[in-house]
Amino acid sequence: MTSHTGRLYAAALSLVVFFLAWAVVASRPWAAAAADPRLRALALRESQLRHEAKLVQAAVARRQAVYRAALKARNARIAAAASASSAAPATSSAVRVVNLPPLTITRTS
Amino acid sequence: MSRRAFRAMGTEIELLVDADDAERTLDAAEAEFHRLEALLSRFRPDSELSRLNEAGSLEAGPDLCRVLGLALVARERTGGRFDPTVHDAVVAAGYDRSFEHVPADADGGTAVRRTPAAHDDVVVDGSAVRLTGVRLDLGGIGKGYAAERTAEILAAAGPCLVNAGGDIATRGGAWTVGVETAAEPLTLELSGASGLATSGRDRRRWRRDGRELHHLIDPRTGAPSESDLLRVTVVAPDAVEAEIAAKSLFLAGAEAAAAEADEAGIPSVLVTADGRTVVAGGLA
Repeated sequence: MTSHTGRLYAAALSLVVFFLAWAVVASRPWAAAAADPRLRALALRESQLRHEAKLVQAAVARRQAVYRAALKARNARIAAAASASSAAPATSSAVRVVNLPPLTITRTS
Repeated sequence: MSRRAFRAMGTEIELLVDADDAERTLDAAEAEFHRLEALLSRFRPDSELSRLNEAGSLEAGPDLCRVLGLALVARERTGGRFDPTVHDAVVAAGYDRSFEHVPADADGGTAVRRTPAAHDDVVVDGSAVRLTGVRLDLGGIGKGYAAERTAEILAAAGPCLVNAGGDIATRGGAWTVGVETAAEPLTLELSGASGLATSGRDRRRWRRDGRELHHLIDPRTGAPSESDLLRVTVVAPDAVEAEIAAKSLFLAGAEAAAAEADEAGIPSVLVTADGRTVVAGGLA
C-alpha cells in the first residue's frame, strides 16, 4: 500500500485499536473476579438483614392482628357496660324513699 | 349499734357503727375528725389552710392537697358554681369567725366584687400550693372529706354512718336518713357506700344593716346567693360529691336545679323559698 490515502486510513485504524485496547485495560476486568472480601461480607450481611426484616414484619403483623382482635373485644365490653350503665337508673341500688323511722337526720350544714 | 357524738368543724358530728364494742374504732375515727379540722379550718390560725391563706404559698400535706384537688376539679366541672376561692366574700359578708361567735345582728356586711376565676389563681404543683390574689374556704368540702375519711376508719368495725352536720357518708348496710322538706319529713334509705349532703340558707344566717345574709356565696356576684331555693339535699356516691352537687344545685335555682338533677340522675330533694318540695333525679 503505497498511496497516501491508504497510509492515512492505516494510521487512523491503528489509533482506534490503540484506544480500544487502553479502555479494556483501564476497566480491569480481571479485578471483578477477585472482589474485596469486605464487600462480600457486607452483601452477605445485607441479605441476612433482609431475611430477618421479613421475619420481624411477619411477627409484628401476627401480634397486631391479635391486638386488634383484643381491642375490638374490649371496646365491645366497654360499649356494653356503658349502655348498661346509662340504661340503669342512678338511684336503683344506692337510695330509695322509705316509710321507716330515720336513724339520723340531715340538715343544712 | 355503737354511737358517738361530738362537736367539730363548727357542727355536731355523729358516728354510728353496726357493731358492739367499737369504742377503740370510734376513738380513732373521732381523732381523725379532729386531726382534719386542725388542718382544714379557716378559723384556726395555725391550721395548714390558714397558713396557706396568710402566706399565699405553702408546702402542703397530703390531705390539704387532696381536698384542694377535689375542689379545683369541682370548680371546673360545675362551671364555677362551686368555688373554693370565695373566702374573702364570705368574710366580707360577716362570716369571719366560727359561726357560734358571729353576731346575729350587726352593722356592715358587704359584697366582695368578684372577677371571674382565673385558671392560675390556685396552682398545685405536687405538694407546693400557690395562691394569687385569692384565699380559700374549704369548709363544706372539708366536712365531706372528713366524713369520708372517718367512715373509712369506722368501716373496719362494721357497717357505719358518719353524719357531719348534714354531710353523711355510709359504708355497708342500709341506713335511714330523715330529710326536712316543706311539709312532712322524708326518709331516705342509703345502702352500700353512699354520700348525702344538704346545703341551704335556712341555717348559718345573720343580719347586717337590716339585711339577711347567709353563708352560701354566689361566686359570680361575691354576695350571698339569691337563689329561690331554701335548701337542697343530694345523694351521691360519696359525701364530697354530694356536698359539691348540693351547693351547685342550690346556686342554680329551683327550675334549673330540677332539670339538671333529672338530666344527670342526681337524686335530690329541693325545697323552695315559697314552700314547695321538688323531688328530682329519679328519687322515688
